Amino acid sequence: MASTTSLSKAEKSYIQAGLLANPPTRGDGRSAQDFRTISLQTSVAPLANGSARVSIGRDPHDGSGGTEVLAATKLEVESVDLGSGSGGVNGGRVMCSVTCSPAAYPHLSSAALDDLQYDLTTILNSTLTHPSLHPKNLTILPGKKSWLLNLDLVVLVDSGNVFDALFLAARAALWDTKVPRTRSVEYKARKAGGGGEGGEKGDMEVDEEVVSGFDTRQIRHATDFELPDYWDEGEELDGRDRWPVCVTLNLVPPAHFLDATLEEEAAIPLRLLLMFSFDSDEPHIQGMRTMGNGELTVPQLGELLKEGEKYARQIWQSLNAKLKEEELGRIKERNKF
Amino acid sequence: MDIDDYEDFDSSGSRLTCPGESLTSSQAYMRGHGTYVDSEEVIASVAGTIERVNKLVTVRAIRSRYNPEVGDLVVGRITEVQPRRWKVDAHSRQDAVLMLSSVNLPGGVQRRKLESDELQMRGFFEEGDLLVAEVQAFFSDGAMSLHTRSLKYGKLRNGQLVAVPPILVRRLKSHFLTLPCGVDLILGLNGYIWVSKHVKASEQEGEEGFDAEAVYSNVNDEIDEATRTAISRVTHVIRVLTSHFIPLTDTLLLEAYEWTVEQETNVRDLFQQDFGDALVASITVGR
Repeated sequence: MASTTSLSKAEKSYIQAGLLANPPTRGDGRSAQDFRTISLQTSVAPLANGSARVSIGRDPHDGSGGTEVLAATKLEVESVDLGSGSGGVNGGRVMCSVTCSPAAYPHLSSAALDDLQYDLTTILNSTLTHPSLHPKNLTILPGKKSWLLNLDLVVLVDSGNVFDALFLAARAALWDTKVPRTRSVEYKARKAGGGGEGGEKGDMEVDEEVVSGFDTRQIRHATDFELPDYWDEGEELDGRDRWPVCVTLNLVPPAHFLDATLEEEAAIPLRLLLMFSFDSDEPHIQGMRTMGNGELTVPQLGELLKEGEKYARQIWQSLNAKLKEEELGRIKERNKF
Repeated sequence: MDIDDYEDFDSSGSRLTCPGESLTSSQAYMRGHGTYVDSEEVIASVAGTIERVNKLVTVRAIRSRYNPEVGDLVVGRITEVQPRRWKVDAHSRQDAVLMLSSVNLPGGVQRRKLESDELQMRGFFEEGDLLVAEVQAFFSDGAMSLHTRSLKYGKLRNGQLVAVPPILVRRLKSHFLTLPCGVDLILGLNGYIWVSKHVKASEQEGEEGFDAEAVYSNVNDEIDEATRTAISRVTHVIRVLTSHFIPLTDTLLLEAYEWTVEQETNVRDLFQQDFGDALVASITVGR
């Protein structure tokens, strides 16, 4: 991916020399493993099923600067028609798309912006739509209707480390997502001769909420569904603990550092993205990507994977703590009324 | 707006206004930049200071791009190399132009430009390079023309750039500052500030024989850790001051730097908001 900021050779070597010094120094005084301050807010978009806003390194006083990403999920009903080309799949689908605000990249032409959006979308889509992460409760009517989960992300400002921000926002928005409860509806013809004139029209009957396990009638005949009103807007997305976090290791061989600014990103030859998920403390690597024209050997990669897991675990733990806190805050808010 | 306000408007030298505020009657005054006319009233369209020249009323915006004036010192970045000229991003509305004839060429300060110079323009400046220059003149389309025909001007190295709103850089006696911590500062009036390692005047290149190798070099000098720390500390001080919208002057920067050293803190502590607020509170006392 082409760098969006231009740096002079002297600036590049100034940044690189600082990183390779002992101890490594960075332009803003951070150490190699320091992140900038991250702020996160969930449920920011009232019309979305789940949403989050993440900013990394925003100026605490006037709120300027810093990478800012907005993520929102929207559920859409899709009919499952095999072979009709509508795209619906039994069990539901997840789709991600990333849009970059032109204001975030004022120097890019619209074609270059499209390329960048496509690149970001591909990385998110290939990681988050993997079958190992697929939520199980996206089915409405088996074989007929399912939910299409659209995850849309907007990069509002980019001042470096946009991938970590995107994955943080994606995880927070998916965590925040509520799937509406549905109840299947069946049309049943009334028995002939039972009544007079209106009998043959067909009558609508709403299923009981408690469905007997032995009664397979609903599954076979249910043709439509309805949304019962619920106070909490639905149930959580299944497997919301599994969505991965990303940690970007910026490599200046032999050193590496985290949370690069735009200038630092422009000055380094290679970046390694690692997407980790920690299911019951067991690390799962969900994705890996190198960017740039530098080289990386297999033993180096092994070392970096170990280091990356350590950093990702810290991000994971603090993100989970923050998400739980946000959720508790919202429950309290609701209980006030 | 009644008669009293008109008198007030006439008397006050500079007054702040905000968008939508009606300034005066459009019958008595002419509308200038930053204003528009609605129902026979001149109304401000930007936030800034009101300025009046005879019957012309203008509003000078607070947040705007850099408005160049001849003689200003600017820091810019090369964006394009074109025939006999470079395009320079100087945080203005248009890219500035640096003509090949306005730079110092190797082998004598004053000499005619040769075809070979045109062919090796990238040897002097290439895309992305930072330079310090002076605004020389304007083209008919309003773009500024720069020159680096002094040994003070030229390519920048050994440091890092900070961008601030141009309005926060005041006109000073000299825009080349040297802080006692071994850091040189170049305050570009366009809001680009170059923070670099101090180079002694005697060691500056090209004192006598104009060493082109050194002037157009891309290689940094050896920079020790203390200097690096000082550079990032100064950068942070500038960021904190501009986020509080405090105009930068040499004395202010020095005081702020000394304050951070006195507190014996790490540079990264400056990230914290309370620390930044304390810094601003301490230097604005008695001002």
